[in-house]
Amino acid sequence: MLPEFFEFYNPTKVVYQVGIATDLKPELDIIGKTKYFIISDHIIADLGLVDKVEAGLAEAGFEAVGRFLDVAQDARLNDVKKCADLVKASGAEGIISIGGGSVIDTAKAVNIMFSAGGDLVEDYSGAHTLTRPLNPHIVIPTTAGTGSEVTMVAVIYDEDNKEKLVFPDKYLLPNLAVLDPEMTLSLPPKMTAATGMDALTHAMEAYVGIQASPVSDVFAVGAIDLIMKNLVRAVEQGDDIEARGGMLIAATMAGISFTHSMCGVIHGMAHAVGAHFRVPHGVANGIFLPHGMEFNFEFIYEKLARLAPVMGEPAEGVAPEDAARNVIAAVRRLTSRLNELGALPIRLRDVGVPEDSLPLIAESALMDGSSFYNPRPMEDEAELLPFIQNAY
Amino acid sequence: MATFESAEKFEEVLVGFFKLMGETPAIADKLLASKLIIRFNYSDPDLVVVVDCSGDKIDVRPHDKETKATVEMTMSADIAHRFWFGKVNLTIALTRKEMVAKGPIPKVLKLLPAIKPSYALYPEYLEANGYGEYNILKKK
Repeated sequence: MLPEFFEFYNPTKVVYQVGIATDLKPELDIIGKTKYFIISDHIIADLGLVDKVEAGLAEAGFEAVGRFLDVAQDARLNDVKKCADLVKASGAEGIISIGGGSVIDTAKAVNIMFSAGGDLVEDYSGAHTLTRPLNPHIVIPTTAGTGSEVTMVAVIYDEDNKEKLVFPDKYLLPNLAVLDPEMTLSLPPKMTAATGMDALTHAMEAYVGIQASPVSDVFAVGAIDLIMKNLVRAVEQGDDIEARGGMLIAATMAGISFTHSMCGVIHGMAHAVGAHFRVPHGVANGIFLPHGMEFNFEFIYEKLARLAPVMGEPAEGVAPEDAARNVIAAVRRLTSRLNELGALPIRLRDVGVPEDSLPLIAESALMDGSSFYNPRPMEDEAELLPFIQNAY
Repeated sequence: MATFESAEKFEEVLVGFFKLMGETPAIADKLLASKLIIRFNYSDPDLVVVVDCSGDKIDVRPHDKETKATVEMTMSADIAHRFWFGKVNLTIALTRKEMVAKGPIPKVLKLLPAIKPSYALYPEYLEANGYGEYNILKKK
């Protein structure tokens, strides 16, 4: 069945090549700016990745006019304000972000203040509030999970008011996403597994979401295929450049898919346990994904069944219900394998979530913006409790 | 051509409907639970209305440009009119910029199930109050 309406808008140029993060002259020449401010974090800088990119820029005749490395685990509002002041004072004409989701989201929010001025919260909270394009933003992801390099959303934590602010805006889509698997080689197995499960959850939720379209489906299915082929390899053998490349491309494809069709209640759950118990986002998604697929089963099984061949499951002559259950079983086998490798917890009880907090998680997840797009409509947190108990 | 011939008529119809929603427990209770203060900025014809859900009862205040709202929704009067028939998908309207929302969007999205009964209420209200000419369902 075709959707009543869909829109596909993806102006972000995506380039992929081993080593391309140090060889960006052709792409930057087209953008036409020469002075860039670099936003990253200390872990990435300590690994030498910021120096590496800067050296490549200098060799190609571009200038890095400043650095901000104080991005925290969550993109934080106060950091955004501090960084924006530095960017404005630096004479930069554009931003290069090097890192995972927090770094990229920080850079997106900084670019709003850098390009459009004003107060981030007062002037730009809401949906699509920007009225003109921002300065160029080039993203070099160092994890394969967030997909933020191709999404129109920045999520910023307001530490003073203890709330997550969401900024969805087409003008936040970066100009260029640079996929260089060498930039993810140093990602440890646990981070590789967690970010990979984040990407898989993006793709799965986008595929069955209420705003899915035939176009977003193509990217979701492509992402799932690459993740099933490459995630365990990348965890087991961190220097497997092909597996790293496959995961990087998969995360970007999943990002393109979910920025159009959105995520669902699994992300709502992950946001809830992240906010209350600091459970890393990818780990939470990995824990909740198979249980969320079960929770939504009646609403998604026909479409889920079509994933069977991609998941290495038989499709010919198999009833849709059975094929869909096989797809969920394949996800469980993946998370179990990652768990055997010591890379991914698969129970909420193993990540510091107290059992008496399950009603609180249900309440928060129900109120999360992602849950609105879930294929199974939900009205009461009591509906969510069995789902969370299963994950516990 | 705009549905409403004047700002006065649009205000009469819409403010009356908002007040009816505020007196309908199935809708009002959930709106009050949200504690949101929403300012609607309409164009063609122009009108500003604040729906204040922060107190014990819903307060509808036309022309209130002073109160600090939690959420501001900006749209044409025609889009607003069609919305109350259930004929506008909010997420699509936001994507296409037929509506612009400033403030915490997840809280706005969460109100959608609460206001669902209003979609049936709106045409009934129009008919019952002499505004039948604006009932787009009847015209079809």
